[in-house]
Amino acid sequence: MKKTTKALAVFSMLGSWMAGTQALAEPFKVGVCYDLSKAYTFATPQVSQAALDLAKLINMQGGIGGEPVEVIVRDHGNEPQRGIECYSKLSREGVFVFDTLSTPVSLAVLPRAMEDENILMQSLVGRGDAVDGTVFDWVYPIGPTYWGQAANDVAYIKQLHDGDMSDVKVGFVYFDYPFGQEPIEILKTLAEKEGFELQLYPVPLPGSDQASVWSKVRRENPDHVIVWMLGGAHVVASKEMKRNGIPMEKYISVNWLNEVDIANIGNEAAIGIKRGTNVVGGQDVALRQEIMTELYDKGQGSGPLEKTQDVFYNTGLAMYSIVFEAARKAVENEGLPITAKSYKAGLESLEGYDANGLMAPVTVTAKDHGGGGKTRIEMWDGKAWVPQTDWISEYTDVVWEVVKKSSSTYQQ
Amino acid sequence: MFYRLSGVHHANYVSDSRIFKVPADRNLTAFIFLLGLAAPFIIPSLYLNSYMLPWLIWTAAALGLNLVTGWAGQLHLGYAAVMAVGAYSAIHAARFGVPWEFALIIGGLTSSVIGSLFAFAALRVKGLYLALTTLAMQFVMDWVLTHSPMISGGSHASLQAPTLALLGQEITSDTGYYYVVFGWCVLVTIFMLNLKRTALGRALVAVREKDFAAAILGVNSFYYKILAFATSSFIAGVSGALLVATFYFLAAPEQFSVSVSIQVLAMVIVGGLGSIIGSYFGVAMILLVPGLVNGLVVAMSNGLGTQVNVETLAHIPNAVYGALIVIILLIEPLGLGKLYGNIRDYLMVWPFDQFKK
Repeated sequence: MKKTTKALAVFSMLGSWMAGTQALAEPFKVGVCYDLSKAYTFATPQVSQAALDLAKLINMQGGIGGEPVEVIVRDHGNEPQRGIECYSKLSREGVFVFDTLSTPVSLAVLPRAMEDENILMQSLVGRGDAVDGTVFDWVYPIGPTYWGQAANDVAYIKQLHDGDMSDVKVGFVYFDYPFGQEPIEILKTLAEKEGFELQLYPVPLPGSDQASVWSKVRRENPDHVIVWMLGGAHVVASKEMKRNGIPMEKYISVNWLNEVDIANIGNEAAIGIKRGTNVVGGQDVALRQEIMTELYDKGQGSGPLEKTQDVFYNTGLAMYSIVFEAARKAVENEGLPITAKSYKAGLESLEGYDANGLMAPVTVTAKDHGGGGKTRIEMWDGKAWVPQTDWISEYTDVVWEVVKKSSSTYQQ
Repeated sequence: MFYRLSGVHHANYVSDSRIFKVPADRNLTAFIFLLGLAAPFIIPSLYLNSYMLPWLIWTAAALGLNLVTGWAGQLHLGYAAVMAVGAYSAIHAARFGVPWEFALIIGGLTSSVIGSLFAFAALRVKGLYLALTTLAMQFVMDWVLTHSPMISGGSHASLQAPTLALLGQEITSDTGYYYVVFGWCVLVTIFMLNLKRTALGRALVAVREKDFAAAILGVNSFYYKILAFATSSFIAGVSGALLVATFYFLAAPEQFSVSVSIQVLAMVIVGGLGSIIGSYFGVAMILLVPGLVNGLVVAMSNGLGTQVNVETLAHIPNAVYGALIVIILLIEPLGLGKLYGNIRDYLMVWPFDQFKK
């Protein structure tokens, strides 16, 4: 008896597997090769959950052009060779849109994607000069580059000082490796252009010891501190700032600062902290609310509810709204089936798309694969993120100069 | 029955110093070599370029580390840094216009020089202290790479490798890359197989077992340690350069970080110190099993139609993989190579050994 049930179970398992592969008629697939187990776990669970939720919602509403969409999430553990394996495997299964959300893996996959003419989405990670569409035909880092984001932070500081930065001191606290070092060049250029004084404070990895950094900040007393760090390092920084009597208002973080960090800093203690962002924070977002009523209220969410109350969930929604909107455009323009070429054209026809008020409007062109790189500064008021600026994208000429200089080194 | 032997007997020194003392081993090796040659025609391209190719490069690299750790008995925690030196110098040489054949050798030699220069300082201490000193080398190299755009190449510190070309022939296909890597791995394997029967190999083993005892025998242990570091660094350098030229196409500091160093060491230890076949198994275990287990778990959860959270799904393979390593090292602390050796020894004269009992 036991044996038969076991056999039946195995049989039905195989059956459902076969049926599963046959029933779906060529869905539009997105390859989500993420680091779900190592370095990027501060954001990947939220982002991938958003992708899965969004795909579910779209399928409930009839898919794209009548075809279902499928998000295939795989773990690569932030190891380049496993990222390449994931990419190679999925691309043979007919996937031509990929995202890795990991700088090392994105760097490793990029040459292959360019060669195979597959779309590599790399919002917020990877090499920033990939916004240059004339060099990186198949790479779309939609959203701000770190260069653009830093430039926008400077523009915000300029606004605060009524356009005169001549006696302003700006500190830059950063992880002392490529991620943190990237904005330095642009900040130096802008310091020269605007006449403010730039002070650099490198933080050794993993950022758990910042005592010397912040006592130096206290001594030199910059008016604002732009911060390029992640996760727990924000919490360490906030403690050191408190110890040194540095007000939280000075802190302007890169977009990688979320509700988990705020909770760890302490709701009250975090009041005044600022961050650059390209998505609207908080739960008051139309798309998120739709997902709540359609999926989570019916118990069909792709993960725990807490993960959706996080700005990185909104970031994920933004990233994948773009992915699916481009597919919609591709169907609109060139019909089914969607190919890598028509999808690329779809991406490049996005104009002022903001996913119903979820994010900074993006306009992707054949030249600018970054979508304009708009961000805004938000401040935590103890309950919610309060926008301090409009969606801005300043000093684009300076940013593009750096982009061009860097992208020209890609080809021999 | 399988090995057609009644035992391994030597009647003269020549037979004792053969690479393959058992004909069946030689035949098996030849068969596997032929299989390796035919691989592009019998293995689907996915497996060729995402499993076979990295497996062979990392095996070559692991064999190099095995030389210094398994043979000479010196713990080395900065092996990835040495690979990085080779990779970056070869790519810079190739970008400068040096033909790839020479660029690879330049990569190997630079690694060799830097690796042994460092060993000069590091070898003043032994054991765990040496391990820590080599770890320091890793951090120095990480720092140099992330702080010198000249070396690591502009944006996000990534350096594009020019197209690989050997003997005037541009190599762009998966098959081509595979053969290059296969050739290199075979070369290193042949070198390591022969090492056992040379004076150098015996000296290294003597140094490993007890360096001052070796000194009493007239083996200059410091010299042989340096030699081991230099040779293994050369292998590391060329392997690192090939890794970028045939697999990553682009060098970035993260590809040679401290975690990679530890991974290579794990390959050698799981495979078995001083075991050549073990290095092949160890690399397969550390490099490929996580991906395979991942695929298996995903397929199983899809098959069962269960709604497993993607995050949980990503962590199950890690647990399985960790458990596998623990189990293997519990069953056979000397690694997978020894495990294979046990099976081989058991089958050597089977079934005739059964009659004795």
